[in-house]
Amino acid sequence: MRVSLNWLREFVDIDMSPEQLADHLTMLGLEIESVERLGQDIKNVRVGQIRSIEPHPNADKLTVCQTDVGDGQPLQIICGATNMKVGDKVPTVVDGSVLPGGFKIGRRKMRGVESQGMMCSETELGIGEDAGGLLILPEDVSLGADVVSLLELDDVVFEIEVTPNRGDWAGVIGVAREISASLGEELELPDIHLITSERQQAADVSSVTIDDEELCPRYAGRILVEAEVGESPAWMKARLHAAGVRAINNVVDITNYVLIETGHPLHAFDLDTLTEKRIIVRRAEDGESIRTLDGVERKLDRDVLIIADAKRPVAVAGIMGGEDTEVGESTQNIFLESAVFNPRFIRHGSRSLGLITEASQRFQRGADPAMARYALDTAAALMREYVDTDVLEGVLDEYPSPERPRQVTLRYLRTNEVLGDEVPPHRQSKFIQNLGFETVEETSTASTFRVPTWRHDVREEADLIEEVARLHGYGAIEPEIPKIARRGEDLAPEEMRLRRLREFVVGLGYTECITLAFGNPEDTKAAGLNGGAGDMVTLMNPLSEKHSAMRTSLLPGLLRTCAHNLNHGVDDQALFEMGPVYFPRDNQTLPSQHSRLGLLLTGRRRPAHWSEDDADMDFYDIKGYVEAILEYFGLQPTFRESHQTTFLPGQAAEILAGDKPAGCFGQVAPGASRAYEIDADVFVAELDLDVLLGIPRTPPQYRPSPPYPPYLRDMAILVPRDLPAGDVIELVWENGGELLQDVQLFDVYTGERIPEDKKSLALNLVFQSHEKTLSSNDTQAIWDRIVEQLQERLGAALR
Amino acid sequence: MKEKLETIRQQALEEITHAAESEALEQTRVKYLGRKGELTQILRGLSQVAPEERKTMGQAANEIKEAIASALEGRKRELEAKELEEQASRNRADLTLPGRRPRIGHKHLVSQVIEEIVDIFSGMGFQTATGPDIETEYYNFESMNTPEDHPARDLHDTFFVKDGVVLRTHTSPVQMRVMESTNPPVAVVVPGRTFRVDNDASHSPMFFQIEGLLVDKEVNFAELKGALMHFVHSFFGKDTAVRFRPHYFPFTEPSAEMDISCTVCGGQGCRLCKHQGWLEILGCGMVHPQVFRYAGYDVEEVTGFAFGMGVDRIALLKHSIDSIHHLYENDLRFLEQF
Repeated sequence: MRVSLNWLREFVDIDMSPEQLADHLTMLGLEIESVERLGQDIKNVRVGQIRSIEPHPNADKLTVCQTDVGDGQPLQIICGATNMKVGDKVPTVVDGSVLPGGFKIGRRKMRGVESQGMMCSETELGIGEDAGGLLILPEDVSLGADVVSLLELDDVVFEIEVTPNRGDWAGVIGVAREISASLGEELELPDIHLITSERQQAADVSSVTIDDEELCPRYAGRILVEAEVGESPAWMKARLHAAGVRAINNVVDITNYVLIETGHPLHAFDLDTLTEKRIIVRRAEDGESIRTLDGVERKLDRDVLIIADAKRPVAVAGIMGGEDTEVGESTQNIFLESAVFNPRFIRHGSRSLGLITEASQRFQRGADPAMARYALDTAAALMREYVDTDVLEGVLDEYPSPERPRQVTLRYLRTNEVLGDEVPPHRQSKFIQNLGFETVEETSTASTFRVPTWRHDVREEADLIEEVARLHGYGAIEPEIPKIARRGEDLAPEEMRLRRLREFVVGLGYTECITLAFGNPEDTKAAGLNGGAGDMVTLMNPLSEKHSAMRTSLLPGLLRTCAHNLNHGVDDQALFEMGPVYFPRDNQTLPSQHSRLGLLLTGRRRPAHWSEDDADMDFYDIKGYVEAILEYFGLQPTFRESHQTTFLPGQAAEILAGDKPAGCFGQVAPGASRAYEIDADVFVAELDLDVLLGIPRTPPQYRPSPPYPPYLRDMAILVPRDLPAGDVIELVWENGGELLQDVQLFDVYTGERIPEDKKSLALNLVFQSHEKTLSSNDTQAIWDRIVEQLQERLGAALR
Repeated sequence: MKEKLETIRQQALEEITHAAESEALEQTRVKYLGRKGELTQILRGLSQVAPEERKTMGQAANEIKEAIASALEGRKRELEAKELEEQASRNRADLTLPGRRPRIGHKHLVSQVIEEIVDIFSGMGFQTATGPDIETEYYNFESMNTPEDHPARDLHDTFFVKDGVVLRTHTSPVQMRVMESTNPPVAVVVPGRTFRVDNDASHSPMFFQIEGLLVDKEVNFAELKGALMHFVHSFFGKDTAVRFRPHYFPFTEPSAEMDISCTVCGGQGCRLCKHQGWLEILGCGMVHPQVFRYAGYDVEEVTGFAFGMGVDRIALLKHSIDSIHHLYENDLRFLEQF
């Protein structure tokens, strides 16, 4: 909200610079987002009176005016405006003056006639948008007076962020009250001098009915007759402009002016457009509609509160008026409304109609029923003066069950316990009183206060403690390091394990990505995963189709990231992401969430180096990393071929840890690569961390290393080409007995000198004993058994 | 005999000094100390020398043998050093050529910042806790004293999964989950993903928060300040100024926002801090009694403080990053800078 310093000063004495005040307000909880100085660059603009207006000899659209600024000799000014007449007083810029934006005005010739200054419109003074004509000042202003001080153009505007709990801060008076409380200054609320006309009673002209007092606790109205709808006075326009509100006409401007001043929204109806001149506050009927002031036809239903006349809706209560009953130039009689509506209902209505207004925002925060009446009378008094209308005697004020003020007790000791400070009791109660609370009962240890009508936010002791803390100053409380009692059990043991795993994977040379945890069926299917209805957790209000659901896999995000980096010239990539995926769950409120680890490799196996030829990654690179990670978990997994369509057939595997599926890996299939616009061989893996972390780990037990040197023997065999090497190794182990310590496959060869249907495997067998140094004699029997078994069971032949 | 020994000594030492390479030196050694070497033969022939001379002659011969051996050894080292130097001049490593580096991995900046912050708080005794990303409205809002139609809900543009189920808009629901499952004292930090319907230069629909909660007998605002100032000084440096100003959150009362002196201008005023000199870092406050009531805690028995901070914002500020979107675009040229 924009609040003018001059306006604040009407209600409270402020003896500090604008910067100090901004800081002071910020430290009270009224965060100042900006401080804007108005009128600073307007210099030497004075009240001039037009003495004569003559046509310009060389231009049809210009006139030559003689304007007196009180210096004796009138200035000759060439003017393009047409709205002035002889005798009007207007802001006049004399030679050497400066206008907003730093425009310097000097003497110059216009179409052959000298112009010695300029007469100004609102726009030129920076107080409004009306550039159509000169700003005509009231007749009683004195000739030659400085227009800046006359219109209070030298002002400071604070942009204040009003928190949702403090509806009372949404008006100048509320802010002034806060300043007065914090400085211990008096809040000076002017008395309203409303002179009413006895020609008729308001109640004889109109009536107010509230259907549901819970939705509208108070509805007050006044009747104003014989109004002269026209322009507002310049000072009011200047104030509205400072507050960021556009001037429309004097009636609307006054409702806005009072809204800004009191924070209480008002509405003016053209009385003669109200059927039977009646006001009924009720829920809309299904099927009813209204064309609101913004020109939009809106369908209404039972959940929208409206103001109706005898026949139809005339306003959406507390949100926006109707076009049919708007006050316009032809309006003569006015029904002026000031009401209090239920905040929840307003919020609901505002959201369901998609209509957020100054009024709705204020009613949502909770309006002050007392201020409703104050605002009504202030506005009526202003209208009497500036709309030249009679205010009929009597208020149509429906307030069926006046709210009983809440009482809240503050224990002084409790305040100090919560704050960790020693605020003396008398200071505590003084702070609260300064904010407008009345003391109901006071003892040496506690006070009970009556909560003012504008403080909907104060409901219990903690709320009063905050008030004490605010006025005492948060900065005055000395910080202290808390003494924290340690607890036994770990609340999230998996967190530390995930963190160590992250370190490990980074150590393997992978760079961590964090992608948005959204997904969509199309991307999911493109990555060869299930993305049908019911496979994903979908969002009711997604930002875009791309983010229409929650991801079920880390692979789409990694593939997108890979594509992005390839597009930016990074060909070698080792990426990983650790994070959650989400799946719908039947008969459960919340979907399930699982931790995954995704890996992606593309490009060269090692960073390019001058000493060696590049080698691209292949299936066994991703497999090696998967094996390393599983070994990190202390697991000996088995792999079986995967047919998931993510992967290139024959280059994909599923991981089994124990007997549980724990993930998959392989080379990405061309279809999936294409869908992600990747033109490179890409290898990915996705591991289920819930499974891996869930496998219980026993501490590894020490096995002494044999003290005698190993006896090594190499074996080269020919086996059928499609025989998995793992079968050979397994058989060697089975027959190796206790002396066999290790089996390493060190070569796989197909090609020349080997039959088409065979491959050559070279194994290194390591024998070792805890008793002695082995020789070939000790291992020959084992060796023979292995060779024999290999021949018999796998059709292998020694080379 | 004596003269002969002396001659051998002189000759041998002469030849050793002049040996130009290892091979020549080895020949010299064989010539004098080898099995058929001159000195070896003299030593062997000592048995024929008269017993009265044998002792002195033997002594002299052994001294000469040692002198030659030691000279040989010294010369050998010299020659080796010389040969290594020659080798080096033929095969000197180019120190400017890049070595064979392994691929270097990088932890994501957000992970690094989360870990650093969590570590600072665990140093004070806070434990890590976690909760689900997809939450019930009850935990996300109601139990955090934000009932339906509460105006504060407008500040959270919420993603809905279905009626009553949302993507959590903050990490605060974990406060309630922890309090429901444990008795006080509670001291936790909660890092996690959070979501809001917002996507512009300074907002990402997914972002990270770290929540903190301390509940015990007699926890107070002074301690809230102390804990958070300790965090700021550890994370941003000891010279960082801190201020707390009143704010509003439904789940704390009193509530505060914490500002730190601008990380760019140090408080002088610049574009980053909008010429205010301060940067808003986090929201905090004393746990609202209503939240304790939802948790089933006795509001007269315990008090507590809570705080929540945006990890992303803190990462951006600390590393002068101009847009939150860099964090989740995962451009390797970005990620590898951290």
